[in-house]
Order: sequence, then C-alpha cells, then structure tokens
Amino acid sequence: MKKVITAIVALVILGLMAWGYAQSAQHSHHQSEDSKVNPKETIFEHLGDAYGWEVPFSHSMRIPLPIIAFAQDGSLHCFLSSRVTSGDTYQDGDATFKLSTSEEGGYKGKLVQVLGDGSEYRPWDFSITKNVLGILIAAALVILMAMSLRKWYKRQGMKAPKGFKGMLEVVIDFVYTDTIKPIMGKEAPKYGPYLLTAFFFILTMNLLGLIVIFPGGANLTGNLAVTMVLALITFAVTNLTGTKHYWKEIFWPDVPMALKCPVPMMPLIEFLGILTKPLALMVRLFANMLGGHMVVIVLILLIMIFAEMFSTAVGAGTAVISVALSVFMLVLDTLISFIQAFVFTLLSTIFISMAHVHEEEHKVVTE
Amino acid sequence: MELFKPEFGLVFWMFLAFACLYFILAKWAWPFIIKSMDERATLIDKGVAYAQEAKSHLDNAKAEADALLADARKQQADILRDAAKMKTEIIEQAKADAALEAKKVTDAAQVSIEQARKESEHQLRQDVGAYALQIAEQVIRRNMQDDKAQRDLVQKMLSEVESKN
Repeated sequence: MKKVITAIVALVILGLMAWGYAQSAQHSHHQSEDSKVNPKETIFEHLGDAYGWEVPFSHSMRIPLPIIAFAQDGSLHCFLSSRVTSGDTYQDGDATFKLSTSEEGGYKGKLVQVLGDGSEYRPWDFSITKNVLGILIAAALVILMAMSLRKWYKRQGMKAPKGFKGMLEVVIDFVYTDTIKPIMGKEAPKYGPYLLTAFFFILTMNLLGLIVIFPGGANLTGNLAVTMVLALITFAVTNLTGTKHYWKEIFWPDVPMALKCPVPMMPLIEFLGILTKPLALMVRLFANMLGGHMVVIVLILLIMIFAEMFSTAVGAGTAVISVALSVFMLVLDTLISFIQAFVFTLLSTIFISMAHVHEEEHKVVTE
Repeated sequence: MELFKPEFGLVFWMFLAFACLYFILAKWAWPFIIKSMDERATLIDKGVAYAQEAKSHLDNAKAEADALLADARKQQADILRDAAKMKTEIIEQAKADAALEAKKVTDAAQVSIEQARKESEHQLRQDVGAYALQIAEQVIRRNMQDDKAQRDLVQKMLSEVESKN
C-alpha cells in the first residue's frame, strides 16, 4: 500500500514537473530573444521580498496581500497588492501608488507614491509583504507548538509526551537544560524564555524558508532586516543588563597601563568587540541561510540555462543531476537550519552570560 | 540589492512579531514547560531511587524471613518445653493433692472405725452383762431345784454364750 502511494505521488510530481517544464519552454519560445533566462534577476526575485505571494506553476498569479503605507502628506492608505503587482498604478484617495520600475532611487520593485510632478516618493511602507506574512505565520506556528506542549502538561501531568510533542520536548531539553542552563547557571530562568523564543522562531523561519509553496518559501532568515532585529535584541539584552564589572572590563581592562592610558587601544578594541558580536550574529545567520537558498536556485536555474544554450534534451539531462543535487542541498539546509538556529541561541547565551561577570567570579576564574 | 538593505517596514513588523511572541511565550509557555519538565525529571529520579531501595529490600527479604522463621521455631520449642514442664508439674501437684486427700479420708475412716469398735465393745460389754444377768437369773431359778441341774444349766448357758461370741 505504501509503495503504491509513493509511486502515485512520484508520478504526480514527475508529471507536474514535465508539464511545468513544457510550459516554460513554450513560454520562452513565444518570447523574443531579449527575454532570455536572467539568472541574477530570477535569483533575487525569489530571495527578495514581494507584495504578493507566488502560487506554484504560475508566473503571473499572486496571492494578494494588504499594502499599508503612509503617503507624503501623512495620510494612511490600505489596499490589496493585486492593484499594483501587475504594473498598474493605483489611485487611493488623493495619492497614486505603483511599484517602482526605475533603478534610480534604489527601490526598484518597491511601492512608491507618484507625485504631481511625476517624481517618485517612497512612502512609509508598513505593508504586510510576503516576508511579513511569513514572519507572522512562523510566530503563529511557534505559539501553536509551545501551547500544544503546555496543554499536554496541563492535561497529562507527569506523562511523557509522544510524537511531535515528544520531539519538541527533546529539542527544548537540548537547548535549555543542556545548553542554556550550564552556561547561565542560576540566571537561566530569567533569560531562558528569550533564548528559547529566539531559537524556535529562527528554526521555524529557517524551515519555512525551505518549503517551496505557501505558507513557506519566504526567504526570512536570509533577509538582513530579520537577522538584524534578532541581533539587535541580543545586543540590547547583553548591554542593558551588563554588570558594572562588564563595563569596567571594556573601558578599563586588566592590561598593562601602556595599552590603555595615553592611547586607549585595548578599550577601543573591547568597544569594537561589543559591536562586532551582534554584527557577527546577524551576518552569520543571514549568509548561511541565503547561501543555502541561492545554491538550490542556481542548481535549478542550470536546467534553464543549459536548455537555452544547447537543447531541450541537454536541459532535461541536466534536470536529473540538478534535482538530485538540490535535494541533497535541501537536506543539508535542513541540518543548517537547525545548526544556525542553535548557534544563534548558543552565542546569544554566551554573550549575555559574559555581560554578567562579577568581580568575585572573575577572580576565581583567573586564579 | 534590496536583500542587503533592511526595509523599515520589515524591521518594524519583525520586531513587533518577535516582541509579541516573546511576551506570549515567556508568560504562558516556557516557564510552565520547563517547570513541568523539571518536575518530571525529579519524579523519575525519585522513582529510580525508590526502585533501587525496593530492590535492596527485596534482596534482604529472604534473609529476614529466614531469621524470622528461625526465631519462630525457637519460640515454638520454648513454648512446647514450658508446656511439658507445666504438664508434669500439674500431674505431680494433682498426685500430691490426691494422696493428701486419700490420707485424710483413711484417717477419718480409721477414726470412725475406732469409734465404732469402741461403741461395739461398749455394746458387747452391756450385752454380756445383760446375758450374764439373764444366765444368773436362770441359774438362780434352777438352783432352787437341783444342784446338778443348776450346774448343767450354767454349763449349757456358758457354752451358748461361747458359741454366740
């Protein structure tokens, strides 16, 4: 029975792939020479944010999402993204909106307000874009998971959870009991909730990014804005809760006088260290996730590129290798999703606990 | 390259989403989950310790039972011995009591026999006296007739008395 189902699913997937491929081949045949495969544009279109959410097997259809923007005069405008995604301009009240097509302002593809003189003004854009919706979905999933486990404990008491909840518990135990607790010691209950939240939020966003169709497919942790917020929160927690001794270590460290008195070399290095820590957090997560997505997209694009350069048959041949490699990459990305979420949590834990040094503890360590 | 240029809207929503997520989970989920997990861990630890203790108890149980059995046997033997002793004592006591009682009874019997003998002796004496008087009366009466006859009568009377006694 299982084998039959597997075979049917495989056949359906293969059929859809063949159909999609035939369509895209036909599509490129119909188009003139200048609409060749543009790898760079395709890659950044897939990795970037958008005002709609793609639907599988369609180039034009998008799930419309709400656009929320403050125009130049400060008025609030809300409308569905389907009004502008096809390249139209949309008149909402006395403001006209469209998606910018010019490279000039540096916001190509973003929502702009067309002013009276024809110039473009980038409004305060609070739209629920694809990435924002992705973030909200990830947050909702995390709440759902945590609450389901909470409900289990409420109902079943001391019974060990099974299945997905059991797996969740193992992960929580691994992150909290085996990682946060040994590092933070008795401060673990205070900062554990933040670190656990960060871990599960990042993990969910990472994994959602690997699923190609809605509600996945948004490149969340491969977007600098997302990792920046996460890193900034860790930065804020680290420095706002830092002890007196932590600040003394930075501005007046235990080094020979010559290194800190006339020219404050060590304090400068230490101070830079404060800034590089969150920067490293931000870039590490961003680059790892972006890289993974990019490799998969490039591997798939190879099929189109080869098909265009040589023949459809070569493209089909490449497809076998490309799909096999991208499956491997996606499996690897699943691992990386977990590792990066864990590394972010681990480093945040270490940074926060390092900001909580006390004179006495420090002395014990140095002795 | 918009990927490297953080969008304000995205930053805003991300921060809002994370803040909400944190407050919800930090208030209702994580502390409760961690507490429950810790509680279960302690329960399991206690359970293991209890099981080990129970096992060691079980291992000792046979020895304890043997000791108990031996003790019981000893007590049983003691009780049996005491009972036997008590039995002989009771029998001895009963024998002694019986002997005493028997002696009393024989003494009383002897006394009454003695009395009866004395009474009968007294009676005999009176009877003999009475017979003697009767004989003397008869003798005196015959004496009036014949000496010989008197003597014969006395002889006859005496032999009668003799044969009676």
